[in-house]
Amino acid sequence: MPTILQIEDNYANKLLVERVLEPYQYRLLHASDGETGVSLALEEKPDLILVDMGLPDVDGQTVVTLLRQIPDMQAIPIVAVTAWPPDKAMEMAERYGCDGCITKPIDIRAFPGQVAAYLEKRSA
Amino acid sequence: MELIPADQFKAEELTEAYNQTRMDYLVPMPMNVARFQEYVRVYNVDLGCSCVVYDREAELILGLGMLGVRPDRGWITRLGVLPYGRRLGTGSALVTGLMAQAEKKKLPTIWLEVIKGNTPAQQLFLKFGFQEVRELIVARRPPNPEINQAALDKIKRVTSLNHEDAVILLAHRKERPNWLNEDETFHNVRNLSALLVELHNGGRGWVTYHAGLLQLTRIVVEVTVGDEAEVAESVLSVMHQRHKRQDAIAENFCGAGVWEGFQRVGYFESFGRIEMKKEL
Repeated sequence: MPTILQIEDNYANKLLVERVLEPYQYRLLHASDGETGVSLALEEKPDLILVDMGLPDVDGQTVVTLLRQIPDMQAIPIVAVTAWPPDKAMEMAERYGCDGCITKPIDIRAFPGQVAAYLEKRSA
Repeated sequence: MELIPADQFKAEELTEAYNQTRMDYLVPMPMNVARFQEYVRVYNVDLGCSCVVYDREAELILGLGMLGVRPDRGWITRLGVLPYGRRLGTGSALVTGLMAQAEKKKLPTIWLEVIKGNTPAQQLFLKFGFQEVRELIVARRPPNPEINQAALDKIKRVTSLNHEDAVILLAHRKERPNWLNEDETFHNVRNLSALLVELHNGGRGWVTYHAGLLQLTRIVVEVTVGDEAEVAESVLSVMHQRHKRQDAIAENFCGAGVWEGFQRVGYFESFGRIEMKKEL
């Protein structure tokens, strides 16, 4: 069962992702700040990491920077989840070494497909 | 709806309310309690002069706004309205309350910034008589070990300076800095570093910054002699050569020449802010 780590401080957004992905066979982990997110990523080595760019302790870009410097983390797809305008979000995601970005609010119909596509990239 | 000084609330309550005001913003910038307290300290926010709009019946914070206080000037910051406090006049009540506090303190000028593209906030402040002063850039640079050797080859001498020297350099800037980068801010932080750079062609400049474990912050570049873009590029190249693994963020600076130097070493605009002011 693929493991997905969601690093997101907003409880409503966390719940939404959980509900949208509930019908699928995923193990969902959650961290509400960057430090916990990095620790969980190191412990669990998830198959996909969804990172909110605005976190209360360190921002998402810094989390991605740190994860990308750890050899074990380099093959794991990291996806930025952000309310930034799509072009800015894409630029930020690319420059920080994310595998892509998903804009908020998430499109609940498209989201499972987006997640599956990133997971496929992991197994490819 | 009641206006209450923010110091009547715990830091945890204010942080929680602040985060809720920003949850649907383009650039939410949430904070934990430690970051909130640091923000208050570093930017001289006076919580006794800062305001919370409170619904006593529902026991809910509807909005909050903070006032930074420095000699002869105030600064409205992190003003926001919670989703259930919107369209009730909460924002106007906050601005009115903060301006009243500034007048009570006899501050002749109030400054603030709005994020470029946040039209409702900008309109609110224009309505209260604030005027746009200039655009500011918030720029970032992901870690990149590759430094342009040509920029480094132009350098004749680099002098590393400590915190005390950095503070002295910052006191000699040509342009008026934004509140975030004013001298008072740097008196409130620790462990600044500075690099003084001289080029073979006579160009000179310096950079001050704070090197954290993961991030370079509080970056200020000043070109004292020579082409702004060229000197800024060389100065920043030296800094990044010494801190290859850190992410970097430079906040609230302006100036086309210096910005070009930033871009040459890999910075890109994260978002923009509009600085506004009002004389009381």
